[in-house]
Amino acid sequence: MGLTARRWWRGEAVFYAFALPFAALTVIFGVWPILLGISVSFTASATALKAVPTWVGLANYATILADPGFVASLWRTLLYAACAVAANVGFALAYALLLNSRLIGWGRGLFKLLLFLPVVTPDVPGYVVWRWLYDQTFGAINAALGGLGLPAFGGIASPSTAMLAILLAELWHHAGFYLVIFLANLAICERALEEAADIDGARTWQKTLYVIIPQLRPAIVINTVYALIQFLKTFTVVVVTTKGGPNGATDFLSYHAYQYFDQGRYGEATAMASVLFVIVLGVAVGVYGLGERGRA
Amino acid sequence: MKRVLAYAVCILTSAMFAFPYLWMLAGSFRTTSAMLTAPLRLWPERFDLTGFQSIVEIGDLSLLRAAANSLFITGASTAIAVAVTALGAYAITRRPRVLAFRVLRYGFLTTMMYPYMLLVIPVYIVVFKLGLLGSYTGIILFLALGPIQFFLFEQFFRTLPAEVIEAATIDGASELAILLRIVLPMAAPIVATVAIITFLLNWAQWFPVLVISSTSDTWTLPVALLNLNGELGTNFQGIMALSVVTTLPVAALFLLAQRRVMAGMTEGAVKG
Repeated sequence: MGLTARRWWRGEAVFYAFALPFAALTVIFGVWPILLGISVSFTASATALKAVPTWVGLANYATILADPGFVASLWRTLLYAACAVAANVGFALAYALLLNSRLIGWGRGLFKLLLFLPVVTPDVPGYVVWRWLYDQTFGAINAALGGLGLPAFGGIASPSTAMLAILLAELWHHAGFYLVIFLANLAICERALEEAADIDGARTWQKTLYVIIPQLRPAIVINTVYALIQFLKTFTVVVVTTKGGPNGATDFLSYHAYQYFDQGRYGEATAMASVLFVIVLGVAVGVYGLGERGRA
Repeated sequence: MKRVLAYAVCILTSAMFAFPYLWMLAGSFRTTSAMLTAPLRLWPERFDLTGFQSIVEIGDLSLLRAAANSLFITGASTAIAVAVTALGAYAITRRPRVLAFRVLRYGFLTTMMYPYMLLVIPVYIVVFKLGLLGSYTGIILFLALGPIQFFLFEQFFRTLPAEVIEAATIDGASELAILLRIVLPMAAPIVATVAIITFLLNWAQWFPVLVISSTSDTWTLPVALLNLNGELGTNFQGIMALSVVTTLPVAALFLLAQRRVMAGMTEGAVKG
């Protein structure tokens, strides 16, 4: 080995060696499946796993678009995502402002910790517990409502309340994450601006609305994008609690796609996955773009 | 007065967020009939262990095996994730202008935008084609790739002082020596943060585990719990007991490393 070659090996080639395992995993479990997913969506399901699949063009896309269950689940997913984003980001923002206010001194760390604990709690046991909290006979929620003399909550058993029930369970699981991002943003806000507002005699709501919230724009944008991506693909909670029911009330896109997959209809499943990917990407980019433009 | 109201709101909210844990814990020690008579009671009449005894065997899977699977799959995927992602991010940050690395970074970030749950469907086909269906290898390798790990390492390596590395290069140290003797000791805290976060996230994984498994032999605790919860004929107490077993290890780990985890996850999200 010549001197230059040795130097190259000691200096540069080693970086390729460092990056190689990462590149291999990215290709095998990222790039390949995504491309494969797209190509499978153009093939007949029965031949998807064969070496030479049968190409069917857009037939799978036609099938899913003709499936009334898909179209209904698309609208249901968009409605749910909009409500869940508003509820989660709104709640996290309000709670972050409260925890950050001068009203709360001791215990702030504990309040934050208790909200964040569900974020790192595995989602399956978390939603399993919620499934039983909503139960009509065992459930603590109806027992508590009954004790307070309030009407019973249908929870996941009634088509009219199932979506709300899932939203609350998901809020429990995710809101702490958005809260912590808001708190991190609040920690770097300019205190001087608030003091100036105080001197000018601003009321608390004026200060919050005109001084603090505008400084929270980065966190609002990040949280909204994250929450949108999160709730457009709501899945685990449906598998654990309702399995799309009752009466299809919680049959969201990812669960609908999963059912195709479960039946071995890989072509339709991947076609639906591609559609959801485009929606998620479009909405996320759109919201992010709006947030960026607003800042300029 | 306003202060009292603020505390009332915070305490009530905290209580509502903590309630499911307490109810789960109580439910695992209370008999089903006791639960039916007083669903709200949070302190067991007596500590009844039939729930835990009933889950020693979950169908044809033993609890011990599921727990061992959880530990092994989570531990191995965490170790691989930390090593592979750290090295990859290090190469990409140290040589940002190399075209291959720019392509790699861009390719990785694009794939991470694909909804995870939907990625699992074509990953099933990939794992099938690789002949890894039903293997630990397939599950572990798939779980070893995630965006937050990359963002945290990239963020850290960007802050490495260039002078330190330059000085070592002038002294004739090889890149491998620089990595092992200079960078690695400095990276210890971020390695710990990423390892803990990855462990927490991968412990919770159930869908890829279920999809890549061909028998219950490779099931982890959440998959076993999902299966138990879906069975006909309700073993409520057993379900709560298995929920406790699945939740407790990671809840404890989180409480021990709470600051690190919260700061790391926030940073991973904000920088990403």
